[in-house]
Amino acid sequence: MKYRILIIEDDVVIQTQLRNLLAGNGYEPEVINDFPVSLEQLKSFQPHLILLDIKLPGSDGFSVCSQIRTFSNVPIIFVTSCNTDMDELNSIMLGGDAFLTKPYNTAILLAKTASLLRKAYPVTGQEILSCHGVALHLESSKIEYEGRQTDLTKNELKILYYLFKHTGTICARADIMEYLWDNQLYVDDNALSVNIGRIRDKLSAIGVNDFIKTKHRQGYTI
Amino acid sequence: MNGKLYWKQKLPVIFLNFLCMTALAIFLWVTGNSFDSIFLILLIWAVILTAYLVMSYYTRKVQIEKLLKLAEQLEERYLLSEVMEKPERADDQVYYRLLKLAGKSMLEQVNEVRRERTEYKEYVEQWVHEIKTPITAMKLLCENNHSQVTKELLVELEKVNCYIEQALYYARSEHTEKDYSVREIRLFDVVHQSIAENKYLLLKNGVGIDLQETDDTVYSDEKWLCFILNQLIVNSVKYRTEQPILKFYIERQGNQVILCVQDNGIGIDADDLQRIFEKGFTGKNGRKALQNATGIGLYLCRRLCDKLGIGICADSKGSGTILQLIFHINDFIQRVQG
Repeated sequence: MKYRILIIEDDVVIQTQLRNLLAGNGYEPEVINDFPVSLEQLKSFQPHLILLDIKLPGSDGFSVCSQIRTFSNVPIIFVTSCNTDMDELNSIMLGGDAFLTKPYNTAILLAKTASLLRKAYPVTGQEILSCHGVALHLESSKIEYEGRQTDLTKNELKILYYLFKHTGTICARADIMEYLWDNQLYVDDNALSVNIGRIRDKLSAIGVNDFIKTKHRQGYTI
Repeated sequence: MNGKLYWKQKLPVIFLNFLCMTALAIFLWVTGNSFDSIFLILLIWAVILTAYLVMSYYTRKVQIEKLLKLAEQLEERYLLSEVMEKPERADDQVYYRLLKLAGKSMLEQVNEVRRERTEYKEYVEQWVHEIKTPITAMKLLCENNHSQVTKELLVELEKVNCYIEQALYYARSEHTEKDYSVREIRLFDVVHQSIAENKYLLLKNGVGIDLQETDDTVYSDEKWLCFILNQLIVNSVKYRTEQPILKFYIERQGNQVILCVQDNGIGIDADDLQRIFEKGFTGKNGRKALQNATGIGLYLCRRLCDKLGIGICADSKGSGTILQLIFHINDFIQRVQG
């Protein structure tokens, strides 16, 4: 099931780009175009999470937030360019779940979104990704092939996760590095090569060979 | 009060009295009074005159010294005329009025300038918030359309954002009382946040990050600290060498927690080291690195650190620089509020 995310933001470019970003990351985004915000529209969309700007035409994000809180506990992330402490305090007092200041880091935005969704709608069962018979266990940080398992380090798990999420496409080294940095793993060029080498060793130990292919001058693919 | 000058100014009075005494003596002599009675009259006159002069000197002196002391105790001395008693003497009252007039016109001037400053500060803050909307839009556009060009653009956008933050914090650093909130923060959370904000700059320049992560917490303002770290990171990248490495680690010394930011860049000359936190100071590095060093970044860091009660110091031995942010654990909150 795709999570529905409602974007309440009056800047058209940010609106569209946020929609693209969220759609590209497996969410179902919806935007509100009529201000002041109508609660009917909001209710009918039934979002799982709301991205709320503070400065809105007609009314401000705070009042919208308190109105929403009268009938729903949906997670709300405040996004704003005013990074004063009063705003932050207000947003938390009124029931906002997170506070991001512009210009926000998309990685942080996505991470906050994901963690709030996970908290609000707990998923039962382990998350497992698989590709060509190889299964990646995210919770236990293991990789499995035909019943044989091996442990992965944090770096290896994240690299594999990125590759599994982009099966069939070529992942540039720079993109993988960026992804790792977004996850607070500050891997440089050499370390990435070392990590890929280790992953290949581990894979061949459980009987998978030539799983990660190197595309010369382009990156890796599975 | 200058006694000599006072007496000098009293000379005409003394001279006049002397003249009158001489005239009286001649008159009394001519009308046939004895020498003894003339001498007695003149003596009494002289005693009364001296007593009067000495007394008026001392009362005046006490009065003036009281005023001086009052002025010294006042923090804003231009308010003296509001505090002092209204004088009784006619000429003093004129001076009093003059003082009031002068004070009033100065207060008007000061208030005018103050109002303009506040308005300007508010304008800068508002401007910064407004400019952030298009920057956010640009950033999202770039991140949604990944290519070599947009990556370069993202680096530039990070720089733009850094300069804008400088303007914002410069405006804020003057009236800080209401703009920060101190709470317990995990130092490495802020480090992660700063690295994230400079991600593209660091990646583009191939900066290796070496974190010795610990769970140390301090009481401080997260946003301000993040801004300070951003400035330090940007500096390290500006003055880097081949294969730059940026190291973050924490040292504990007694009741101090020290966050160290170490790079292997070109370092700072010993002569310059003392002055890098001064406003507008660029030093040898700023000139030779062909970077447009503004001498604002570190100056602002020092200012914000002072307000937050954080110690900041730099050390460099030939190559590489270590910047230390020193947090006091025990008396920290008192110092901020004090």
